[in-house]
Amino acid sequence: MKKVLIANRGEIALRIIRTCREMGLQTVAVYSTADRDTLAVRFADEAVCIGPAPSAQSYLKIPAIIAAAEVTGADAVHPGYGFLSENAEFARICDDHDLTFIGPKPETISKMGDKSVAKETMRSAGVPVVPGSDGAVADVKEGLAAAREAGFPVMIKASAGGGGRGMRMARDESEFERLFVAASTEATNAFGDGRLYVEKFVEEPRHIEIQLVGDGQGTVVHFGERECSIQRRHQKLLEEAPSPILDEDLRKRMGDAAIAGALAVDYRGAGTVEFLVDKNRDFYFMEMNTRIQVEHPVTEEVTDTDLIEWQLRVAEGETITSGNHLPVGHSIECRINAEDPFRNFSPSPGKITAFHSPKGRGVRCDTHVYAGYTVPPTYDSMIAKLIVRETTRDRAITKMLRALDEFIIEGLKTTVPFHQQLLQDPRFLAGDFDTKFLERFELTQEG
Amino acid sequence: MDMDLDKIQRLLEIVADSGMAEVKVEEGDFKLTVRATPKVEANSGPMMMAPPQAAPPPVASAAPAAAPASSPASEAAEPGSGADESLVLAPIVGTFYAAPSPDADPFVTVGDRVEVGQTLCIIEAMKLMNEIQAEEAGTVKQVLVQNAEPVEYDQPLFVIGQ
Repeated sequence: MKKVLIANRGEIALRIIRTCREMGLQTVAVYSTADRDTLAVRFADEAVCIGPAPSAQSYLKIPAIIAAAEVTGADAVHPGYGFLSENAEFARICDDHDLTFIGPKPETISKMGDKSVAKETMRSAGVPVVPGSDGAVADVKEGLAAAREAGFPVMIKASAGGGGRGMRMARDESEFERLFVAASTEATNAFGDGRLYVEKFVEEPRHIEIQLVGDGQGTVVHFGERECSIQRRHQKLLEEAPSPILDEDLRKRMGDAAIAGALAVDYRGAGTVEFLVDKNRDFYFMEMNTRIQVEHPVTEEVTDTDLIEWQLRVAEGETITSGNHLPVGHSIECRINAEDPFRNFSPSPGKITAFHSPKGRGVRCDTHVYAGYTVPPTYDSMIAKLIVRETTRDRAITKMLRALDEFIIEGLKTTVPFHQQLLQDPRFLAGDFDTKFLERFELTQEG
Repeated sequence: MDMDLDKIQRLLEIVADSGMAEVKVEEGDFKLTVRATPKVEANSGPMMMAPPQAAPPPVASAAPAAAPASSPASEAAEPGSGADESLVLAPIVGTFYAAPSPDADPFVTVGDRVEVGQTLCIIEAMKLMNEIQAEEAGTVKQVLVQNAEPVEYDQPLFVIGQ
């Protein structure tokens, strides 16, 4: 591998370029007309404009990316996260064009991308999954049988559902039939399809994920977990490693389960297995992400590894000879978005007039912005990831608060004040939260 | 102050180093005005220090702040900037081919009259030959790229004049 084309933008493009440079690899940045002045474009060895601002005509346009690889002589493509990173078709086209796709094989991406296939694959590998019916149930009787097997309370969900409609929670057998009928009626009215499936209700779920890397040659190792329960509308805002609630035993069991699942598909590349952990500390497979994730830095900080380097090495065919990497110390990441937390997190694009990122011992800021940069409205609102690393969780929180105080971004609104309040919340400090935490969190309005 | 050349030289150096635009020295009947040649910086005013030096540490790394990004428009200030001239820009990334095949004549050369819809060149991407057609009628004034040269999106290919 000599030259890597980065099929992405923003902070992750810069992140990938940095590791490529350290590994002596040439880099090619592709960019839309809206991203001409970004740091990735400036720092890459070569840069190719591939289309106008809209992602569909640039970062998602496969022919443009392949053409850019052809004209620059790139021999590998790193898809980053989002965009085409979990597009099996893109991975296949890269293979067809003799471009090393930095990620899993196309078949693996397809398999893990289909939620029910992924769940079945994991279940067969002995990974605990959310118990429930095998797809849609034929009638109330079948639904009740599935509910009894899964164990109450259960969620009755519409197969065609979304937005919380066609969903009911049945606490016990006595109310099951009534709720089943109600859900089916609602689903028929809302989606024209009254079919339902039944799943155990995971109480007070925490979203805890395991980072792993496989070499596609028989070995998969894990790098410990990340706690990602602080989410607003299913978007993660803060992540930490390790999780405040995992002990060595639970980490081992979750890590082993994640590895078993990945080995079942002879996984190659970096990947993350997401679990729901309930109040009884039982864990259930949720889904697998077959790419590098936004929050990978917290794992890097507590395991002293470069996950992008791991991705590149296994893509080059290296085999893994190490064991699992267990976390040492504590790391927290705050996603800093160009949004106004006091106006319901409404987007705040615009020109950054002053920018000073926090620094100092144990502080890392992964960002693509700078003073004078205009945050375009076309892409996601994340402008920086602020990561701290310390010996304990308490020290990491103190350091993060210090770093947030030092963060100067002028010209637009950011979520820095939100993080400052979050990190002083007693329940957060106690590590006592689940995925519903932010729904109940009240932001104190600015004075 | 007398007309000491060394002192005048020193004054010239001071003006140049300071970034000041103009210095006037008066002593008795002697008057000397020194004006610095203005730097070609997009946002420097007459009396302002160059922004990157004057800004306090909070400004991030010098690289992005230093040079104004040169956009294709300013680089292409010469081609296509004349009245009744327009640029044909590459609508896709790929390899530019001036002719339909290696032995054939180019689709167009300088001086040719072109009509709307007429093929000007081919841009090859992923083994597909994409014909690029003229969107306006006119005369080919310049061909800005060479055969088999890689081109990126929005890259100027031809200047078409009326």
